[in-house]
Amino acid sequence: MDLLDLMKSSIRAPGRLVNLLTIDELKGIDVDTSGATIGALATLAEIADHPDLARMFPALALAAGHAATPQVRNVATIGGNILQRPRCWYFRMAQYPCLKKGGDTCFAMDGENKYHAIFENSLCAMVHPSNTAVALLALDAVVRTAGSGEIPIRKFFVTPDQDILRESALAEGELVTQLFIPATGARSHYLEFRERQSFDWALVSAAAAAELEGQTLNNARVVLGSVAPIPWRIDLGEIAATDEALDRAADEAVRGATPLAKNKYKVQLARTAIRRSLRELARATE
Amino acid sequence: MPDVLTTPAYRWVGHNPPRKESLEKVTGSAKYLDDLKFEGCLHGKTVRSTVPHGRIKKISFEPGVPWDEFTVVTARDIPGKNVVSLIELDQPFLADGLVRHMAEPVVLLAHPDKGMAEKAVKRVHIEYEELPAILTIEESLAGGNIQYGKDNIFKKYHIQKGDPESVWPKADVVIEGEYWTGPQEQLYIEPQGVVAVASPTGGVTVWGSMQCPFYVHKGLKPLFNLPDDRVRVIYTVTGGGFGGKEEYPTLPAGHAALLSWKAGGRPVKIVYDRMEDMWATTKRHPCKTRVKAAFTKDGKLLALKVDATMDGGAYVTLSTVVLSRGTLHAFGPYACDHVVIDTRAVFTNSPPYGAFRGFGAPQTIFPLELHLHRAACELGIEPHELRRRNLLHQGDRMATGQVMQEETGLEGLMWKAMDESKYLEKTKAYREHNRSSTRIKKGVALALFFHGAGFTGSGEVFLDSKAGLELTRDGAVRILSANTEIGQGSFTTHSQIVAEELRIPYEMVEVAVPDTAVVPNSGPTVASRTCMVVGELLRRAASDLKEVLVKSGALAGNGHTPSEFRAAAGKYLQRFGELKVYSKYKPPPDVSWDDKTYTGSAYAAYAWACYVADLEIDMATYQAQMKDFVAVQEVGRVIHPVIAAGQIEGGVAQAIGWALYEDVALKQGVMQNCQLTNYILPTTADTPPIRVFFYENPYQNGPFGAKGLGELPMDGPAPAIAAAVAFALGDRIIPRIPILPETILDAIS
Repeated sequence: MDLLDLMKSSIRAPGRLVNLLTIDELKGIDVDTSGATIGALATLAEIADHPDLARMFPALALAAGHAATPQVRNVATIGGNILQRPRCWYFRMAQYPCLKKGGDTCFAMDGENKYHAIFENSLCAMVHPSNTAVALLALDAVVRTAGSGEIPIRKFFVTPDQDILRESALAEGELVTQLFIPATGARSHYLEFRERQSFDWALVSAAAAAELEGQTLNNARVVLGSVAPIPWRIDLGEIAATDEALDRAADEAVRGATPLAKNKYKVQLARTAIRRSLRELARATE
Repeated sequence: MPDVLTTPAYRWVGHNPPRKESLEKVTGSAKYLDDLKFEGCLHGKTVRSTVPHGRIKKISFEPGVPWDEFTVVTARDIPGKNVVSLIELDQPFLADGLVRHMAEPVVLLAHPDKGMAEKAVKRVHIEYEELPAILTIEESLAGGNIQYGKDNIFKKYHIQKGDPESVWPKADVVIEGEYWTGPQEQLYIEPQGVVAVASPTGGVTVWGSMQCPFYVHKGLKPLFNLPDDRVRVIYTVTGGGFGGKEEYPTLPAGHAALLSWKAGGRPVKIVYDRMEDMWATTKRHPCKTRVKAAFTKDGKLLALKVDATMDGGAYVTLSTVVLSRGTLHAFGPYACDHVVIDTRAVFTNSPPYGAFRGFGAPQTIFPLELHLHRAACELGIEPHELRRRNLLHQGDRMATGQVMQEETGLEGLMWKAMDESKYLEKTKAYREHNRSSTRIKKGVALALFFHGAGFTGSGEVFLDSKAGLELTRDGAVRILSANTEIGQGSFTTHSQIVAEELRIPYEMVEVAVPDTAVVPNSGPTVASRTCMVVGELLRRAASDLKEVLVKSGALAGNGHTPSEFRAAAGKYLQRFGELKVYSKYKPPPDVSWDDKTYTGSAYAAYAWACYVADLEIDMATYQAQMKDFVAVQEVGRVIHPVIAAGQIEGGVAQAIGWALYEDVALKQGVMQNCQLTNYILPTTADTPPIRVFFYENPYQNGPFGAKGLGELPMDGPAPAIAAAVAFALGDRIIPRIPILPETILDAIS
């Protein structure tokens, strides 16, 4: 996680820090016919550049490759990436005692909320900032921990309703050791929109995955990033691989959005992200 | 390598010798302020106001902090006058009883441990009786809540030529529009930083990242009631300024000195972190402008009326002169018989807006140029042709009455820019493309403009600048000037000018550190004046120095080798001990200005330019992406083509940020998005190829013909980009910047 930033901003002041970088068992990427096992300390650059991951799980490789800058990707780990705290500027500024810091107000509700959630935003309007979480959720990954053992990624991220102070289901002291992605033969794709072309968090990201059968996408799902307090999964089931059907699905998927005063624009971006990521899967069928 | 359209006939001028400071910067050995180590240094922190307007009821220090280890300063500890000496004497160094904007300094803390100092800031509690705040231009002008003078207006200007009112009724077409330009953060890479050592016995010495050591010097004297020679200000290697280090450094310099004074003369360092720097320091003035223009149906500009209002913030600082430059650039490079310009800068309870590259000119050039694009669309005349029909030529009178003595060459610049950008082909192709494509819309547009170099009006006369040269012990020459190197290459270009005039190698010219105890006051490093005005002072000093050496018999009058020069210098120093030669500013002949009527020669020299912006908009995400940019300008002689082109490219990139990305989110008058993750600055991945072309029309009163160019590239990109957006959207004008994707979405839905 991005602990140093939080310490610099006086959000966290831990009395003691444990260096995990010396634990070799947390490193490395192994890919075989059953799937990919990725150490929590694998860097985003290693993941982005891994030829087997790029072939079998392109959504993940693309997501890792879009994060931050080359310099950051060389040191940032996937374990840290999925455990990033919110980028919400009220959370990041010590002078705002927001809900996530134990306060009683979400300042974003009536404040500067152009980057905030358009789904699941009635209590706290943070968005989950991780690129790779979006891809991992689309790929039905499993989080392995030293502690409870395995947590399916669908249960890993928790909403503010479930626990306002945390974003993951990890227990106190529980450590992510590996991520496992099962090989299912699903095709996948990832894309994101951001305000500038480099060194930026996504305004909206999308990872899409589906199995192919003729002109049909089976078990199609899209996970949106930066639109809700958790990576936001939309299951579309079986869907015809035509532009019209995919666009209809995209329109349908954002119908329930509840944008705030300054982020209606994100609904349009979400719709476009769904369309383009699904079309990319469909294009692969032709 | 930029394209310079003459062949320089000089040995150094027009060439690209290595920058004087580049080796230290590239190898990392350059010492910026925070790299300087001082024995026993304390770290200073500023406790700032958290209301936009209020009376301070109580300042309390939370228990549990070892306050006895801290040096604490409030307004009461100030030995002299609690006022920043600038244009007006209204801004205190520390709020005393009343705060007039958010983030205003109230209490200063210093501690040997930086972390302790940082934590303690939150343990100082200031209670306020909140007062009603003025947060917008409209609220300021509405009356009711008056906090400055009789009407909240810092300054007004009125320029009148002819009588536009008589023209409206009889013109074929009258077009009106309202425009808005937002604030912008300078975002120098190195934040504000100073170190001070101050005591009643030793006087005050300040080291700092700054543009204008003598501004800081002037500001510190009354703060401590000290004479000139007891205050010393020393420039340290400065990582960018863009105007943000013109007037502002006086505040942290005063703060560090006050802490040091109270701490018995221990050094005190104040370095803002990025968040504090963005939250508390100056930004570009926001500006609202109404433009009304009358045309014949074939596009002759008959009358022009511009009414602009800038938000000045809570103290006058430089607003009156920013407004002045804005006023004098509001009418553009066009011939028009009937012009009225009315401008004002108003008080609000925002942190003061301040100097920023362009200094008010970009704010008034934007509405005029975009308005001309709008007019061209409405008149059914191509935008370049509408400009061409109205261009200012030699002998024409500007709105100020200034008669153009030179041919501006603007039409040639325009054709060159259109040619290089393939403007005519693109306008045709893009219209075709936009008819058939729904997903991507393309736009291309141009802007024409000028930028006046040097201080406005009589400003240079009042500055009375002085610069000099001295011989060094080893027979070289050292520049004595207060003008700072802030990334713009001034040490290098000045050295080229001196080397050229003295006919010695560039390597034989050194630059003294701008230190008020060592160098004369050659004026501030601002206003595109450093190369043109101070460069000319140095050229004259070089000429005089050579003459002294020749007259003394040390140097032959008919040419010399470098070693002959060294030998002559050695001979002279042996005989006379030292040689320092100074020259003082003299206004060019035939240049006069009347401050009362705002008529005359507003600027002795103008740089002229035509810029073309090319972009496309993704109609699903509404993001505008720059594709190409052509910048053609006439800036007099180009002293160092690589540095000059770098200035243009950097300015264009900064202006792209202002036009398309940089959105200062204000709440209670102060910036909310004080982080680089939410104040979005374009990266090199967002900026297009920026293609730079210079024409040279040597200016007789500039060194070897040079004019100023540092601010010029900030002026033209925004209106060209906004017009290109309008082109892409089918002549739909978005009259405000920044044009964010959501702005485009709002405009078309």
